[in-house]
Amino acid sequence: MSMSDDSSSDYAGRNALVAEYVLGLLSAAEHERVGRLIEDDQALRAERDFWVNRFAALNSEYEETPVPSHIYAAIEARAFGDLVKPRPVQSLWNSLMVWRGIAAGALAVAVAAVGFNLMQPAPDVGALTTQLVAALEEEGSNVKFVALYDGSGNVRLTALSGEAVPDKDFELWAIQGDNAPISMGVIPVNERSAVTISPEVMAGWGEGSVLAITLEQAGGSPDGNPHGPIVAKGAVTKI
Amino acid sequence: MSVMQTPSADIADLIARCALRDRAAFRILYERTSAKLFGVTLRILKDRSEAEEAIQEVYVKIWQRADRYVAGNTSPISWLVAVARNHSLDILRARRPPADDIDVALEIPDSGPTPERATEDSQERGRIEHCLGTLEPDRADAVRGAYLDGYSYEELASRHAVPLNTMRTWLRRSLIRLKDCLSA
Repeated sequence: MSMSDDSSSDYAGRNALVAEYVLGLLSAAEHERVGRLIEDDQALRAERDFWVNRFAALNSEYEETPVPSHIYAAIEARAFGDLVKPRPVQSLWNSLMVWRGIAAGALAVAVAAVGFNLMQPAPDVGALTTQLVAALEEEGSNVKFVALYDGSGNVRLTALSGEAVPDKDFELWAIQGDNAPISMGVIPVNERSAVTISPEVMAGWGEGSVLAITLEQAGGSPDGNPHGPIVAKGAVTKI
Repeated sequence: MSVMQTPSADIADLIARCALRDRAAFRILYERTSAKLFGVTLRILKDRSEAEEAIQEVYVKIWQRADRYVAGNTSPISWLVAVARNHSLDILRARRPPADDIDVALEIPDSGPTPERATEDSQERGRIEHCLGTLEPDRADAVRGAYLDGYSYEELASRHAVPLNTMRTWLRRSLIRLKDCLSA
């Protein structure tokens, strides 16, 4: 249809297509076409975000309504479906005592590792003030690592437990504040290794950073975003 | 704790942890935000069992697409509401007969609007209310109906008892005036 309605007066040459898109007023075919144009153009994306943010001020009119309690189980089944597999030793792994024991063990090793590390000659005086440690673990997973940062720009990793998975690799991620996880590369299991901290990670590095290990396809995530399950994670703490 | 009492940074953190496949974070995110998002699917779909089905699909999408949330462009709760709203609108849109498509070129601004910064809903509420208030009351109602209830041009035209093309013109002019007012 023509835009003759709008071409008169002071509206000539302007249209409200992005706003109509955000409101959902376009037909299915047009919605899809405009959606693709927006994705491909930075100025249009900014215009879309403008409308999303301004209209979001009306969201308070959506009344909070509790969802029936049985719904969440259905969501988990659908969201995690392919990942949830019965474990042969489930009762053991679910035992709180076992997990407490492992967590305590991981911490003890962390402390021991730190003690060992402190006996090494420090690279420089400043390094001693920036020692950081993290114990990486996750409920439901037997992969455990201790990560140690000695101020030299490298994170040293020691695997405490966990086996290599055929055709998969473990990948290390740094999570800093609200930023997307940054890959620190694929790491070996069952051995000690050192990972150099990239400038991107170093920019936000320090106490509160979180290190996480995910199970990715062999060679690591192809697009720089984690896809696999978290097998271990932990926050970095000053020592 | 409901979404209204949860600091925005906490929601952003939960979404980031979902991107890392953190199931415990997903559960907390669901507990804090599902009542709000259910309000969205209910209001737009206007059918309880459809809204219950939709809320499941919405959270599966959130789990799958958590890595696409870009902190800083949109506030985290606005992003979640947009996922729920867009999903509900997709359901309605798929049902509607194909419309006579407007085939207009998309105006690409030379100097795009200043990049959006995430804003708290409450900060912007006064502003959009003010700008809607500068429109004729029935046109402001039509804009609200399109946003909050997901009404189509056809539904809006029949609710306001005006011809379809008149409603299109109303809406488009109103949106251009709103843009001027909101950018001022």
